[in-house]
Amino acid sequence: MVERGLTVRKIVIAGVLGAIAILLGVTRIGYIPVPTPAGNATIMHIPVIIGAIMEGWGVGMIIGLIFGVSSFLNATVVLFKDPLVAILPRLLIGVFAYITYVGLKNFNQYVAIGMAGFVGSLSNTILVMTMAVVQNYLVPGAAIAVVLTQGIPEAIVSVIVTLAVVTTWKKLGPSGKQKSKIS
Amino acid sequence: MSSPFELTRNITIGQYLVRNSIIHKLDPRFKLASFAILLVGIAICDSYIGNLIGLFLSIYLFHLASIPVSYGVSGLKPAIPFMIIIGLMQLFLYKEMSPDNVIYWQLGFLEVSSASIKIVIISVLRFMQIIFLSSILTLSTSTTEITRGLERLLSPLQKVKFPVHAFSLIITIAIRFVPTFAMEMEKMMKAQASRGAEFGTGAWWQIIKRTTEMFPLIIPLFNVALARGEDLILAMEARCYTPGSSRTVYTQYKANGNDYVALLVSVGIVFVLVFIPYPW
Repeated sequence: MVERGLTVRKIVIAGVLGAIAILLGVTRIGYIPVPTPAGNATIMHIPVIIGAIMEGWGVGMIIGLIFGVSSFLNATVVLFKDPLVAILPRLLIGVFAYITYVGLKNFNQYVAIGMAGFVGSLSNTILVMTMAVVQNYLVPGAAIAVVLTQGIPEAIVSVIVTLAVVTTWKKLGPSGKQKSKIS
Repeated sequence: MSSPFELTRNITIGQYLVRNSIIHKLDPRFKLASFAILLVGIAICDSYIGNLIGLFLSIYLFHLASIPVSYGVSGLKPAIPFMIIIGLMQLFLYKEMSPDNVIYWQLGFLEVSSASIKIVIISVLRFMQIIFLSSILTLSTSTTEITRGLERLLSPLQKVKFPVHAFSLIITIAIRFVPTFAMEMEKMMKAQASRGAEFGTGAWWQIIKRTTEMFPLIIPLFNVALARGEDLILAMEARCYTPGSSRTVYTQYKANGNDYVALLVSVGIVFVLVFIPYPW
């Protein structure tokens, strides 16, 4: 049976990945303090990317919203105390990751997942920095420096984690556990 | 002393204390609305006096809800080292071009000015208020109540085909699973540490080390989460859960006088915080 809109699977996956995003935020495991104007490097956008690859852009957007709100509430820098910087750009991470994944899916699954991780992570950095410049928190030069010094390593970390998680889940490699067959 | 392995102790989100206070008895719709209003007020307010008033009021709310303030303070503890580091960075690096900005100390690109001191103090106060407020909300409202309240508040959006019920279900699942995953993560940290993995040994400037330390934790965490998700999907489908179909609810909320008073008081507080021009 093909269900339209939000299926049980989408709802639950969005819920559990949202929980990870919140958990990484409140335990501060998701933040790595770095000496750039943005204050912290983050791995909290990875649940968003994984959700988008697995269940589509809608789920990615919902997890992005949860990530945005959680980073808004946990923020220690002024930059992320602004909902326009903390929440709005995060809604689009999933969309970009999903488009990349779908575009490359037929070429090679591994490349598609890796690139989705890369593009998703970089879109987070670039969009947040763009909003920071638009809202006058940073000058364009500082924002570009952040994208180069922090965005690229973040994107590499994101590629590693996304590939590791999604390939096991999609059982691309040898793996045992079966998923629910009903839906 | 909390060790790096004790994650659950510091997580106040998703905990609920049963009490019989005014705050507990409020209608969740009104409680959530008042919470949102206060949060916006705190986020906008940028004067010393305003933020101090906000801080005292949020501590007073603990008293009203008959919850010990220590619950709120324990939510602050894990953030203290980060607040200090970031506070110091802002203190020395923040620059503002305005005529009434007094520079107290300067060395190369480092400078301490009245604007940077103000921004550090205000952001610490603001952070404390937000932690206190959100602890009161989650400690005095069960997750079911929060979801129902959220669903009812968002229900006008159903007119534009927004899946309100599914959305509030997602939020409930997320909040519900945070303590569970924290427990799982604690187990995994101990399991990995017993195999010789190191956590938290890298100093804060060893950024690459700190990042690679996380891999043996994050990747199994995702797998555990997805496996639990699969179980939940199976359980929900076995009970014939159908998303999007209309359903009725057992608990009906009816607002009484106290609820309107709470909402009006919150609006009043926000006016006091935002619109009174404080000299400081």
